[in-house]
Amino acid sequence: MTRITENEDAREFRSEAGSLWRITFGPLIWAVHFAASYGATALICAKGGTGFVEGLRLGIGIGTGVALVAIAWLGWQSWRQWDLLRDRDWENDQGTGEDRHQFLGHAAFLLAVISFIGVSYVALPVLLIGTCR
Amino acid sequence: MTRRTWPLRAWTLVALAGVLLLSACGEGRQSVLNPSGRDALLLYDLARVMFVGALVLWLLVGGLFVYVTRINPREMSRRLAEGLIVGGGVLFPVVLLGGLLVYSLPLMQAPREADEGLRVHITAEQWWWRVEYELPDGGRVTSANELRLPVGARTGLVLNAHRVIHAFWVPALGGKADMIPGRETYLSLLPEAAGTYRGQCAEFCGASHALMAFETVAMAPADFEAWLAAEAQDAAAPQGEDATRGAQVFAREGCGGCHTVRGTQAVGQVGPDLTHVGSRLSLGAGILGVEAPDFASWIAHTETLKPEVAMPSYDHLPPDDLTALAAYLGGLE
Repeated sequence: MTRITENEDAREFRSEAGSLWRITFGPLIWAVHFAASYGATALICAKGGTGFVEGLRLGIGIGTGVALVAIAWLGWQSWRQWDLLRDRDWENDQGTGEDRHQFLGHAAFLLAVISFIGVSYVALPVLLIGTCR
Repeated sequence: MTRRTWPLRAWTLVALAGVLLLSACGEGRQSVLNPSGRDALLLYDLARVMFVGALVLWLLVGGLFVYVTRINPREMSRRLAEGLIVGGGVLFPVVLLGGLLVYSLPLMQAPREADEGLRVHITAEQWWWRVEYELPDGGRVTSANELRLPVGARTGLVLNAHRVIHAFWVPALGGKADMIPGRETYLSLLPEAAGTYRGQCAEFCGASHALMAFETVAMAPADFEAWLAAEAQDAAAPQGEDATRGAQVFAREGCGGCHTVRGTQAVGQVGPDLTHVGSRLSLGAGILGVEAPDFASWIAHTETLKPEVAMPSYDHLPPDDLTALAAYLGGLE
């Protein structure tokens, strides 16, 4: 009896370790998008000259699209994991496996929302300012 | 006791705020509230939009706070509370801040726009401004502590600094730009009304940082061309007995080791160019006038008037020599 419970715990722990990793992916995409956008802009504006600006804008545009789709997908996954609409449980504050699972979904969802906003705001200057000046 | 003293303190604060407000009602020679250039007008509009936006937000949040704590302190429905958190805490700020960002980002471009024919190279020194007008043929006209600009055309300012970081700022004409040793920065200005505006170093740069100012004169384009042609000329020969003797004192005291007076033996590069110092609007980088007593007082008391300045006080000179020097320099128009 004890043995089976231990196995179940171990399995559950392994799957929760996965979703614990997953809550970092939203901010991670945001960070990579931020560093790549600013790094590429600094390099091209310093070394490349004006001829490369349109290419840079297109590149950052594509990167932004990919990042937003990836974050949206992460957000959708974690929204389902949070499972708010079915049980209307916002906090998931019981110490059960079920609650831990849903809480990680909750956290990942909120981080995906802020990462989506962050990536959008970081990309705005590229959309609105077309030069290196 | 506290109940009696607090209203008094509140009134003192109100009165102080009033005095501060009134102090801004000067002629506006150095005021962002008196925008006289294209960029300053953009910044003025930006500031007003941001201020109104902040005021609306503050009233909304404050109003809601008063509503839920004083006017209607009953328990809210779950649905309303969730709507307030998601709507007021996430959607509304994202949309409002996004809108302000979209409105303000394009405004950042104007001060970086290219010049329309004139470029001026300005190097910040401790504590004065080396000003060089770039001519179409690539030659340069050197001046100091005063910037002249044509009205209605964008002038490019190529900024640099000698030893420490400074910042260039003419509040009535546009925004600030850092001046960094070994690194060129760029700002352009487009004055829209002729006039004289005060500029000020806006980054702490040492003991006399506050005494590092300059006059900016926005002139009609034809007047500017005439002025630049005159500024490019060599210095006029001294007129009259005093001025002639002043030129001798200038040479004898070694002033030319640091200062240039074009057309004479004085070719020093350490201090401001004095070729046309008599026609400038200020002395000592915006701290004195240009009457004869100002010249005499500046030469004799530099270290008192501008602490830690490189030029030594020539207080050993007899009054006669100072008067003669003042006549010579004042005559360099």
